[in-house]
Amino acid sequence: MLILKSVDALLEHIKDVQTNIKELSSDSLMKMSTYMEKNGLEIDDDIASSFQYQDIITQQLDASIEAINSMRSSIEVFSHAFKSDEDLANGSLQKLQDKLNLALQEAKEKKERFSGKFSQAEDANDEIEFF
Amino acid sequence: MPLVIFVDDSETALASTRMVTNAMPIEVKQYTEATVALAEIKAGMTPDLIITDLNMPVMNGLEFLKELRSHGATSRTPTLMLTTETKTELKVQGKALGLTGWIVKPFNPAQLKQAITRVLRLPA
Repeated sequence: MLILKSVDALLEHIKDVQTNIKELSSDSLMKMSTYMEKNGLEIDDDIASSFQYQDIITQQLDASIEAINSMRSSIEVFSHAFKSDEDLANGSLQKLQDKLNLALQEAKEKKERFSGKFSQAEDANDEIEFF
Repeated sequence: MPLVIFVDDSETALASTRMVTNAMPIEVKQYTEATVALAEIKAGMTPDLIITDLNMPVMNGLEFLKELRSHGATSRTPTLMLTTETKTELKVQGKALGLTGWIVKPFNPAQLKQAITRVLRLPA
């Protein structure tokens, strides 16, 4: 069980670091945008993209934080089962593994989904899609 | 001037759209929550164009769109989705709800301006 406690502590640490990165990257760009708007500076393609990268970074980090929360919750359920009944724990170990794999799979899928144009082929159509 | 509202939970995304559109002949209002924008619409605000993000907490872009379509004054208001999402299934859902178009982030400033100009029929 000690190993699971270490894994849980590591996941918590990763989550904290990711939350800090989100806040810092947002703060830095908001300071830049305040400066640009205050001084009437025009935005070009590169600057517009850099502002939107922050949004993509945030969504990617949110998806992995969601996976971490799910994994920690599964670990907690397993730990309780292990304490109460060893037979139950053996079955729970398989369930834990399945849940951890599922959380990871969902996080990977969201990484692709939330990548915007970065997930598309370089020659993909860059036009806005009107319906 | 036509009223364009932007809804996005990302402050930096809103900052970029604000800077891109500040020289356009439009009035811009921005919201970090779709529920707040919806409340103002139900209170009488009549936007000419709505540009919304998809993945947002509380109410996502498709839920927002559904609410807009069920509200008389915005049942036909042009609405663009501005999102990191590229999933065809979600585009199909948006289209079925009467979405006008889909813009994938990071957008190109010139393209966003062209889309607004085109939808609002502004002089080029």
